[in-house]
Amino acid sequence: MTDALSMLAGGFGHVFAGGAAFHALWAVLIGIVIGALPGLTATMGVALLTTLTFGMGPNVAMLVLVCVYVGAIYGGSRSAILLNIPGTPASAASTLDGFPLARQGLAGRAMGISTAGSWLGTLFGTLILALFAPSFGEFALQFGSYEMFWVAMFGIVIAGSLSGGDPLKGYIAGFIGLFVASIGQETNHAYARFAYGNGDLAGGLGLLPVLVGVFGVAEVLSSMRGPAVKAVSSKIDSVIPRIGDITAYWRTIFRSGAIGTFIGAMPGLGEDIAAWSSYAAAKRASAEREKFGKGSVEGLMAAETGESACVPGAIIPVLTLAVPGSAPAAVLMAAMMIHGLNPGPMLAITSPEFIYQIVAMLIVADMVKLFYGLVLVKPLLWILLIPRERLMPVVFVLCTVGAFAITSRLFDIWVMLGAGLVGFVLRELRFPMAPLVLGIVLGDLLDKNLLRGLVLSGGDLTPFFTRPISMGLCALTLVAVAWSIPGFGALFRRRQAAMPK
Amino acid sequence: MSEGTAPSPFEGEKAPASPRADLVTAAVLFALGVAIVQQALAMPRFVEQSGTGLTAPGIVPGFHGAMIALLSVLLALRALRRGGWAAHGPVAQGGTDGRRLAIAAALGILYAGVMVGRVPFWLASALFVFAFTATFEWSAGPAGRVRRLVEAAAIGLGTGIAVTLVFEKLFLLRLP
Repeated sequence: MTDALSMLAGGFGHVFAGGAAFHALWAVLIGIVIGALPGLTATMGVALLTTLTFGMGPNVAMLVLVCVYVGAIYGGSRSAILLNIPGTPASAASTLDGFPLARQGLAGRAMGISTAGSWLGTLFGTLILALFAPSFGEFALQFGSYEMFWVAMFGIVIAGSLSGGDPLKGYIAGFIGLFVASIGQETNHAYARFAYGNGDLAGGLGLLPVLVGVFGVAEVLSSMRGPAVKAVSSKIDSVIPRIGDITAYWRTIFRSGAIGTFIGAMPGLGEDIAAWSSYAAAKRASAEREKFGKGSVEGLMAAETGESACVPGAIIPVLTLAVPGSAPAAVLMAAMMIHGLNPGPMLAITSPEFIYQIVAMLIVADMVKLFYGLVLVKPLLWILLIPRERLMPVVFVLCTVGAFAITSRLFDIWVMLGAGLVGFVLRELRFPMAPLVLGIVLGDLLDKNLLRGLVLSGGDLTPFFTRPISMGLCALTLVAVAWSIPGFGALFRRRQAAMPK
Repeated sequence: MSEGTAPSPFEGEKAPASPRADLVTAAVLFALGVAIVQQALAMPRFVEQSGTGLTAPGIVPGFHGAMIALLSVLLALRALRRGGWAAHGPVAQGGTDGRRLAIAAALGILYAGVMVGRVPFWLASALFVFAFTATFEWSAGPAGRVRRLVEAAAIGLGTGIAVTLVFEKLFLLRLP
């Protein structure tokens, strides 16, 4: 405990030594603006800002990216409340009660609830991260190749099952992502897969250009295609959160914080599912269920707390297993690798203090977010009114810079364009993007561990199923698959319905 | 999106894709999966080096390809059960939507795929932002068009110069 506290103090010292206050102020602001603008998501924000951090030291770069992530997830609620359009997918659940509150002339109160819920949610999630990530990291040291293979498989399956409406398309998207990750030289024999003599392809498709394409270019196309956003002018009352709103719904805040963090910690699920699950749980448990969807304070509080608690939650598996809990966390993980930080089980041995530095960064970001939540209302309204015809080409230019900057190859710009067009088509065909991203991120992990496991066992597959942790992970994966098969799920639900209350 | 109809991931974000679209997608994915498996089988096995052949580069992509093919068969079967073979195809999207999308994609490809690397980056970006904004704002009508065009040019020039300055001078990154 004393060790943990001293490492946390060290974490704060480390973060502040890098000029935390200054960097946190601009980075959270950029995050909030990106989140608030419909069509710009947290994933895109973190990916684009990763480019800017190349020249920074690792601690400043991580602080900037964590701040953008925290800010963007919170910023999405501004447009959800004021325009009824979620600024990021994570804020979709906030439109249900946020916008009705705004229409009742309570936009300021709704934003106050959102600020309080989001602030407490991130704080709760950060506390869980600080408490459990170090010990889980130590537990994860027992994971060998067989277990890591199942962690990757479980990530793809759970993201496929839950991140979209259609598990089958989710699995396909996941395997397409895994295939994309397998392009280029493999590690054992340096054989260039699917390269056909092309030197650029032999180097593999860069994670960042692909992500910028899937989340940037595809978003620009989607955004230009749909009808224009009509801004509503709304008079805004006080945005100071009311203590009464917090004390009256403390149970909801704790429940949503726990659900949000847990869902964040599951590979690949992300903030949108956290918000919806927290909202659904709050509705089930609420005494004023009939108000949900019509401007319920509790509903908005649940959604906001859940989505913001998910942010630290999603960083837990990044630090302990090198498996991202959400799409923005995937980009954050890629940025960690670019900056030479090696997330994963070994982190508990090589640099245990890094976990506490991330905790300190999250707390700094959360405090700055609270500050902006209280003062930054009017300027954000002007930003929301920027027409997409003027914003999207600028975003596209930034995407191009982001794709190019990491390795200075024009090939990466082509990769971005290709990934953007393919991502757009897949999205139109209702393929969820989270499993695709997770597949691309986990491809290398799965590849290395499957082959290493096979070599270690001399081609014998049984250790993949018989080692205790492997067995547990395999069972979890199979349950996740079974759950998504319509017959199985329905069978269970029927049994549950038949059970006496 | 109207009030109270915000998408839920549990029910699918939008209306599901048509069975015909799913069927065509499944066919394309099946072809992709089979092609991946075929290419994976054609990869060298490196048996002499590893002794067992268990590090063959084709094993992992072959597994992915097989899974894509298998899952696309399931997708096709489901689409058929939903009436994918019936004559009616996917619902055509509105003409304006399609045109806007095509213009945005074409301008994007022209900029990132053709101009970047051949034209100085600040100029390519300025021209792209101007062309994009001017094209999409053209339909707003002749009233105030000159002002909008001037604004578009200013935004384009501002973007080109600002991006170049910020990334090259402040963050010391190379631009294309």
